[in-house]
Amino acid sequence: MNTSPSAEGSRPRTRFLTAAVAWTALVAVALAVMPLPFRDRLPSPMATHWGPSGDPDGAMSLTALIVFALALWLAVAALCLAAASRGRALTRRSARAWLVAGLVWGAAFSLGLEAVTVAANLGRARWEDAAPLGPQAVLVAVAAFAAGAIGYLAARRGPDEPPAMPDVPQTDLGLDPGRSAVWVSSVSSPPLFAVGLVVLVAAGSLAVAALFGLPAPAGPMAAVTAVAGLAVLSVSTVAVTAGPEGLRIGFGPLRWPSRRVPLSRIERAWAERAFPSEVGGWGYRGLPGAATIMIRGGDCLVVRYTSGGQLRISVDDAANGAALLNALLSAPLR
Amino acid sequence: MLLTLDLNDPRPLHEQVTAAIRRAITDGKIAPGDRLPPARDLADALGVNANTVLRSLRHLRDEGLLEFRRGRGVSVLRRPDARQALESQVRDLLDEAARHGFRPHEVIDLIKELS
Repeated sequence: MNTSPSAEGSRPRTRFLTAAVAWTALVAVALAVMPLPFRDRLPSPMATHWGPSGDPDGAMSLTALIVFALALWLAVAALCLAAASRGRALTRRSARAWLVAGLVWGAAFSLGLEAVTVAANLGRARWEDAAPLGPQAVLVAVAAFAAGAIGYLAARRGPDEPPAMPDVPQTDLGLDPGRSAVWVSSVSSPPLFAVGLVVLVAAGSLAVAALFGLPAPAGPMAAVTAVAGLAVLSVSTVAVTAGPEGLRIGFGPLRWPSRRVPLSRIERAWAERAFPSEVGGWGYRGLPGAATIMIRGGDCLVVRYTSGGQLRISVDDAANGAALLNALLSAPLR
Repeated sequence: MLLTLDLNDPRPLHEQVTAAIRRAITDGKIAPGDRLPPARDLADALGVNANTVLRSLRHLRDEGLLEFRRGRGVSVLRRPDARQALESQVRDLLDEAARHGFRPHEVIDLIKELS
């Protein structure tokens, strides 16, 4: 996917990237400027963190709050911009929609957080007196997701240009009509498995520490760490099965969760080689509709959906899996 | 690894699974040194119990086709030799004959007639 977009296709791409950069700058300026008119009516430091009870339990200066909000926004925007500038990402309608959704969500979320924080501190003498924050925080999260969804729907238009499909020669697998054929393959990465285990152990230690009365953040931190550990484990090993029912991908050592793609949704399959350096690392990479499940570099099975999207999984013996899927797709009775 | 199962095979399941894996090795779909997918994945794909697959794998190990290694799973040791390959083909032939109502000695007569 290293082909540079043609001159004709590069104009909308430039326009999209320019608009995204302008949006990033605009939101950054808004984040920096918005609290300034209220400067005189805010305590210093001001409350910036609220405990589970809804009462403030942490404070920062106004400058630190602005820097924090800017860092949050720029991190989200940088991720989106990096994904947008990658190769031919912007030729896909769904990719553009996801990127717009991310940019709108990040803007709404960071601006909302800043506004809610300033509003809670407004007119108070000390940060400890800041208004409790419960429903407002939920409202910001919900509103940001809603804004992201609207952005997604609004940007889901324009030309969609699926990446070219290679010509796959029909391989004769010697399938008899009286036999049912299945293809089974799996791939695992011991390093990823080890990393997942280490993170899970860390989560367990944090949970134990929280039980024995370590400060409050240990509990939520244990939960977040556990989720991260499980996420890494789920892509440390994957089983891929192809058969008359279609494609099935089982994640993690338990093969759960699993994902099924019925034959009716598949247009064609092929094998190609891809490496973590090309897709940006290990694990689930890319956006839905153009994603890669990268466990290790090398042989990959690619499935093109009838909807135009595609999914790529690094897995051994991909050529046979692709050939079986294609044979099942071209079978008269399916 | 590509496996094919006969939809009308009257033999017990574990024998069918054994035959399917043996055929994959004979046909070169999986080469000596290659690792087999975990038994549980094979069982899921074939729609059989994991114990059935394990029984087949042990049988093929006893035939000398597979190698079990602790921590490294099951890998292919070698292809069936000519006699073993022929044997499984003859077994298929006998099953096919039985389906049409021929007894083994009638098949033998047929072979003698042809050779």
